[in-house]
Amino acid sequence: MKTDTGTVKVPIGEEKDFQSAEIWARVTGKAVYGSDFSLPGMLYGKILRSPYPHALVKNIDISGAESLPGVRAVLTGAGLQCKKYGIAVDDELPLALEKVRYIGDEVAAVAAVDPETAERALEAISVGYENLPAVYDPDKALEEGAPQLHEDFPGNTAWQRDLRRGNPDAAFKEADLVVENKFTIPAVHPAYLEPISCVAVYDPYNGLILHTALQSPDSVRAIVARVLEMPLSRVRVIGPAMGGGFGGRVYGNLKLYIISSLLAVKTGRPVKLELTREEEFTVGRPMVSASIKMRMALRRDGKILAREADIITDNGAYSAQAPWVSKTLSERNDSVYRLPAVRTRLRLVYTNKVPTAQYRAYGNQAANFATESLMDMAAGELGIDPLELRLRNCTREGDTTVHGLQIESCALSSCLQEAAKEIGWGSKKEGRGYGLSAAIHANGSLVFDKNFRGSSALARLELDGRVTIFTGEQDYGQGTHAAFALIAARALDLDPQLITVQSGDTLSSPYSTGALAMRQTTIGGRAVQLAARDLREKITRLAAELSGQQVALEKDILAGTSGVPRDFAAVAYYYHTLTSGLNLTGEGKFVPGPADYDESGYGNISLTYSFAAHAAEVEIDRATGALTVHRLVAAHDSGRIVNYRSACGQVYGGVTQGIGMSCYEGYLFDGGRVANPSFADYRIPTSLDVPEIVPLFIETEDPAGPYGSKGIGEIVMVPVLGAIANAVADAAGARVTDLPLTAEKIYEALAGWECAD
Amino acid sequence: MSYLVATSLEEALTYLRDSGGRARVVAGATDLYLKDLPHSLVDLSALPGASVIEEADGLITLGACLTHASAASSILILSRATALAEGCMAIGSPQIRNIATLGGNVVNAAPAADAAVALVALGASAVLVDTGGRSREEAVEDLYVIFNRSAVDSTSEILLKLTIKSCGTGEGSAFTRFAPRRALSLPLVNAAARVRIENGCFREVRLVVAPVKPAPTRLLQTEAMLEGMAPCEETWRLVERAASEEVEVRSSLLRCSARYRNHLVGVLAARVLQAASERAREEEGVDGR
Amino acid sequence: MKKQVIIFQLNGEPAEIHIDPAKSLLKVIREEFGLYGTKAGCGKGECGACTVLLEGQAVNSCLIPAGKINGCSVETIENLSRGEDIHPLQKAFAEKGAVQCGFCTPGMIMSAYAFLKSNPRPQPPEVRTAISGNLCRCTGYKQIEAAILAAAPEMDKENKG
Ligand SMILES: Cc1cc2nc3c(=O)[nH]c(=O)nc-3n(C[C@H](O)[C@H](O)[C@H](O)COP(=O)(O)OP(=O)(O)OC[C@H]3O[C@@H](n4cnc5c(N)ncnc54)[C@H](O)[C@@H]3O)c2cc1C
Ligand code: FES
Ligand code: FES
Repeated sequence: MKTDTGTVKVPIGEEKDFQSAEIWARVTGKAVYGSDFSLPGMLYGKILRSPYPHALVKNIDISGAESLPGVRAVLTGAGLQCKKYGIAVDDELPLALEKVRYIGDEVAAVAAVDPETAERALEAISVGYENLPAVYDPDKALEEGAPQLHEDFPGNTAWQRDLRRGNPDAAFKEADLVVENKFTIPAVHPAYLEPISCVAVYDPYNGLILHTALQSPDSVRAIVARVLEMPLSRVRVIGPAMGGGFGGRVYGNLKLYIISSLLAVKTGRPVKLELTREEEFTVGRPMVSASIKMRMALRRDGKILAREADIITDNGAYSAQAPWVSKTLSERNDSVYRLPAVRTRLRLVYTNKVPTAQYRAYGNQAANFATESLMDMAAGELGIDPLELRLRNCTREGDTTVHGLQIESCALSSCLQEAAKEIGWGSKKEGRGYGLSAAIHANGSLVFDKNFRGSSALARLELDGRVTIFTGEQDYGQGTHAAFALIAARALDLDPQLITVQSGDTLSSPYSTGALAMRQTTIGGRAVQLAARDLREKITRLAAELSGQQVALEKDILAGTSGVPRDFAAVAYYYHTLTSGLNLTGEGKFVPGPADYDESGYGNISLTYSFAAHAAEVEIDRATGALTVHRLVAAHDSGRIVNYRSACGQVYGGVTQGIGMSCYEGYLFDGGRVANPSFADYRIPTSLDVPEIVPLFIETEDPAGPYGSKGIGEIVMVPVLGAIANAVADAAGARVTDLPLTAEKIYEALAGWECAD
Repeated sequence: MSYLVATSLEEALTYLRDSGGRARVVAGATDLYLKDLPHSLVDLSALPGASVIEEADGLITLGACLTHASAASSILILSRATALAEGCMAIGSPQIRNIATLGGNVVNAAPAADAAVALVALGASAVLVDTGGRSREEAVEDLYVIFNRSAVDSTSEILLKLTIKSCGTGEGSAFTRFAPRRALSLPLVNAAARVRIENGCFREVRLVVAPVKPAPTRLLQTEAMLEGMAPCEETWRLVERAASEEVEVRSSLLRCSARYRNHLVGVLAARVLQAASERAREEEGVDGR
Repeated sequence: MKKQVIIFQLNGEPAEIHIDPAKSLLKVIREEFGLYGTKAGCGKGECGACTVLLEGQAVNSCLIPAGKINGCSVETIENLSRGEDIHPLQKAFAEKGAVQCGFCTPGMIMSAYAFLKSNPRPQPPEVRTAISGNLCRCTGYKQIEAAILAAAPEMDKENKG
């Protein structure tokens, strides 16, 4: 295998400062985001939401709203004939029919000539509710006799999993040490800075167009077409600039897209719907909260024998991607270490709270918090250094992990060693706490959509010799387009400045499952590479045909003797005239073989895997429990780094989100009501809350990714949680197992208080 | 709505009077704008003297429309009313501090408003004038009715200025707060103190913590206990206990439990006293020992 | 809804509107003047995406009632560049990786711009404080800080030149 594990390498040289063209619009304020987008004659939509967590809708009177001047449409669930839809399971309707299941559930929608009129129309709708008993605590929701949310899901179980690998019972019997604890992780929101919006346009001749920025426009398009019962080709999604995604805009807010579409169909006018920041928190979907009871069995020498987990994830009222997130949460982290046996039981439970979905890293970070905390507990009990314990157990190249993942490149042990070295593991400062944590993340999941494991791209030669790459992979600032331009530039031997990357319109872009699961650079990048290579071959062939002699490609000049076209532009023009108007286009199809996995999910489910180890240095004010994170070292094996600056940007940003989730963030509920639906009370880190962050890249040469590269976008936030939790435990001498690690909880642990009053 | 940017006090008072309670005074609008807006607003920030910072005869006069940013960067306030500069600097964000005012912070009557807590510790007075032409002067801590409700009726009365006795020889003040995030965050607890140190002993201590009651709350018993004590480790320990015992605080889902808040009150009270006394001793010309 | 005439300076030019004075400055510049560079992330002063300069000071335009700007000068992100001639801060943001999704960028640049005008030779902690009212979810602020520090001497030169 062509790996050179263990070296911190200088990244691919000259391209390191390359920025894609979008950047100029963004710094000058000229980029048009969804919230900036409008069309002539556009109406403004608003949604009436349930004020109750669980109630029957007895009657809705819309006559008052309909008769208001300026109101163009009023919709209720009863007026629609939609089937239930969903992402992982079908459990939602565009507008509530008989029942509302959380505070915020969509009950009616209006479209009016301006937002104020729309607001007044909402006030003019009267709804008769009959309250039902509600349930907020997933443990209670599982009890006999608990209020039931969905008829189709008896017992309030949205999804479940019972998983066993190896022989955990024997392992626990044989163990010298068993460590266990219960960990709780609250719901967290991606908190992209731009609230979601959508402008829907419909006419019977041209079909439906949605102007909204999505990580996976094709997936949303398919669902909208299905719900509205329109042929797929009549639905088009065009993406304006996107103000952040982090998984939250893979499917975005489906309800919003469907309701704006329904309003556009009904009125024949463009309709804009926009979430407020408060709605983002109360109806825009956070990631599932989890409570994880975990046990780990070890031998005296530190060898891990088995791990057992009993997990409950809180789905809220509807499912979206929560089943998939729960699946990742229940298994991915197991492949960080060589685990011979695993038992996992997971229940995803409906409650009368905000519906959940996903966030960067798909729950892997929640499991990291639990596992890595246990690792340090075990190290303490066994008297083995936490670094040493991890090195003795960590997954290595050539392994097939407990869930069947095949690890073809892996620098995890180097990541651990380098991170520890950089944080000063061997020379710890007095009064500071130190923590380590390790992670794995799949990149390019082959199971997300079995029929679309890969990606495709087109490389079109423009008449002036520039090249346009058409891809379905979205860029919302994570640097995908810059990376693609670099990959194509290398394949074509062309200046990356001459390459434009185009995506964001389902009419012209190849299909893609979207910007998720760290598949972009790995899978999307391979397709771009192949498209560019195909174009290059076509150019050389055509040039040869044109001149009747062999030609070679040197930079963008075709070298040969007389009669050879001077450059790309000449070839482009030649082809253009030859075909009466076509552009020479390279096609790239990257189709990985089907994943080989069984019913239990055992098998190699991804093209390749990224690894990381983080180390944190913290300080605790013992009088108050106040936590200061001083440094965080992030050592990553993401294969060869394509664009150093944007890889660093991913590390800084992802680590900061990890710090947010570790120290500050989390939904608070007052019954079924979100108690902190604002940036003032849902606290993401400010510039003053971010410690020194040191990115280290341990570059392996991965056989699967383009030019040996692997993904980085999601794994960056995974190990932060465990590293900080362990550093806090080291500094405090007591462990907090309930996120976020607030000063209050740390102080309680220090002071030995039982629990908050 | 109508909006008047008043250019003279007379104009503002006349407008308020003529509006018969439907007009309200506004300064930075950072609190008011997020609430239900009244029929009309009278903006005071352009009034002559609205943002003055002056000192005469040991009395500092501050215009009610002084912004937190200006207060936090004023050399006079930094040296003679340090707690206020620190309190103002802790507020919200640079953008908020650039426009939000001292007067608004007091009249908005949030129980743990940072500038107000510092002002009460400093013993500040408020100078008010109403539409009937009556003028009054009140201690800032007396301007609170119930939680989030000021004794100043901003539809008929204007807070013109705040006055503070300048900290002189042997005096010092300090402010501190405990917040879950380093910017854009309201405090779980804040505290401020003004002390005089004579012959190495505390005299005339004013020690304030919040949120405890509707107004920033003086810890009278702890203050009394401190009279004549020396600033030293033993004292801080006693203060921590006394302050915690003196107050009863509330739990809040968004902030923290009562038990923890109570603990913080003690810690912050001791810390802020220590900081204030260090400043007083610098002033006294004695080094920290 | 009563309207009032409001006269002010917008990006160096005289501006006059007839409008409900309760409307926010944010809406005024976006909806009345079509200057969509200023963004709305929360509408409550809690994110800084809407930051503009009012009388040279960084403020949250979502919290400013239009009535307040009468007679004042307002400066938005659009005033920092003319065609291809972009401000040193914008150049540094682009080059240093300070921009990911870019939604916080206009507000962030305006905060930095106001700050550098009065602090031409800043220290890193001062820069962090200056942008502490501007949330960024993408970057972790590191490359933003670097960009502001890198732009400072350039901007100083430009101001003196
Ligand atoms: C994002 C954000 C963060 C914040 N963070 C903090 C914080 O950390 N700490 C803190 O203490 N506060 C904070 N605040 C609250 C607020 O900024 C302060 O209370 C500020 O000082 C209010 O001043 P203002 O001039 O904006 O008041 P305004 O909103 O103009 O007025 C507030 C009230 O006072 C009245 N009023 C104002 N001036 C006068 C006067 N001269 N005479 C009579 N009545 C008057 C008004 O009628 C109104 O009722 C924050 C606010 C926001 C939006
Ligand atoms: S939109 Fe003004 S601060 Fe968020
Ligand atoms: S770049 Fe996306 S929020 Fe700052």
